[in-house]
Order: sequence, then structure tokens, then C-alpha cells
Amino acid sequence: MSGNAPSSITTALDRLALIAMLFVLAAILTAAMVIQYAFNEIPCPLCLLQRVAMFGCCFGLILQLRAGNSERGTGIALIFAVLLLVIAVRQTLLDIYPRPGHDYIGSAVLGLHLPVWSVVIAVALLLGLAARLALFGGGRDMAAGEAALRRSLVQPLAIYVVAICAINFLSVLAQCGLDQCHTLGYRLLQ
Amino acid sequence: MMAAVFATLLLAFILDLAGLRQLAILSLLASLGLGVGLFLWEVYSPDYGFRMPWLQL
Repeated sequence: MSGNAPSSITTALDRLALIAMLFVLAAILTAAMVIQYAFNEIPCPLCLLQRVAMFGCCFGLILQLRAGNSERGTGIALIFAVLLLVIAVRQTLLDIYPRPGHDYIGSAVLGLHLPVWSVVIAVALLLGLAARLALFGGGRDMAAGEAALRRSLVQPLAIYVVAICAINFLSVLAQCGLDQCHTLGYRLLQ
Repeated sequence: MMAAVFATLLLAFILDLAGLRQLAILSLLASLGLGVGLFLWEVYSPDYGFRMPWLQL
């Protein structure tokens, strides 16, 4: 093994970090759907766009977990993390100052409203992806046993993310139809 | 418009699962473009433009 070649432990830690980020994002998106369907909190357009940004991050992480000697997936995840930060900061600033007709949308979780949580998530994602690059370096070839890890852990997680993306698509169709989105109700169910 | 954003996003995931990676990335980029456009349209106000005059620094 040459001096620059990553050890199998480094590769395993790198993959675990990516899987952990993907798992947390999938859990957050699931929690958002639980809040929507169980507590009947219909998401606003900017909230839906934040979900899009999170799904984009998921896509990048899945791509990175499948990739060998490439960092394309990390780049895609970083682009969508920045998009998530921009949208979340803008929505937070829209409601940060009380003004007539602009109440804070949705309920608070642990004292923070969901757009503020989105800011926290975006910053955590950016820090996590940067730390991964700093600690584990660039791309690497597939390590032994990685195919088994992919079959057992990554593929089911990827299919789960696709499934919740499909549910979100159907939900958006029900809420917005092919028109502008509102939080008044599900347009197609009225 | 939002339905188009989610449709292209879902298509990207499905194409990626099917192994068509380049097409998947193209679909994702389409979703990104539509999403950015929709975001700018959502936050634009005829009165304030993109400004937020209620924020006083």
C-alpha cells in the first residue's frame, strides 16, 4: 500500500459518515411528513422548496455512496445544502419581525420553528460535508466488502428516500395541483 | 410549478436507481433550476422587490 492510499478504516469511516448524514436527512423528511399528515400542518411553498433541497442533498449522498474515485455526489449535496440555507434564512427573515398578516408558519419543535430548524440542518450539512472532505480526503476506489455494505444498508435507504419523494410528489399534486401552492387545504380533495 | 419541481426530482431518483446516471443528473439539474426560479418568484414582491424593508439594521 502506498503512503497516500487510504486505509480500510478511513474508507469505512467515510462511508459511515455519508450513511449517517443520509439516515438523518431521511428521518427529518419523515418527521416533516408526520407533522404534515398527523397534525394537519399543510406546508407552505418555501417549506416544500426546503424539502426539495433536502431531497437534492439525499441524491448527492446516495451518488457519493455509490461512487468510487469521484466526489461528484459531494458537490451535488453541497449545492443543495447551500440552496437549503438560502431558502431557510430567507423564510426565517420573512417572519422574524412581527407584522400584520405574517404570523409564524407552523408550530415550534423544541422551541424553534421549522424554518429555523432548516437553517440549523443546512449549517450542520455544510459542516459535515466539509469535515468529511477535510478528514477523509478525496475519492477512493471501492474497498473490499463495500458491495455487501451497499446491498445491505445503502440500497434499502436509497429506496426509502425514493419512496418518500414519491409520496411528497403525490402530496404536492393533491395540495397544489398544477397551479400555485397555498396552505388553505388540499386542492384536489375539496 | 411545484409539481414540476417534484416530478423532475422524482424522475432523477428513478433514473439513478435504473442506472441512468447522466440522465438522472440532468433531471436533478432541471429540478434545481425550476426550484430556484420558483423560489425567486415566491419571494418577489411588486412593492418591495427582493428587499425586506421590515428589517431595520
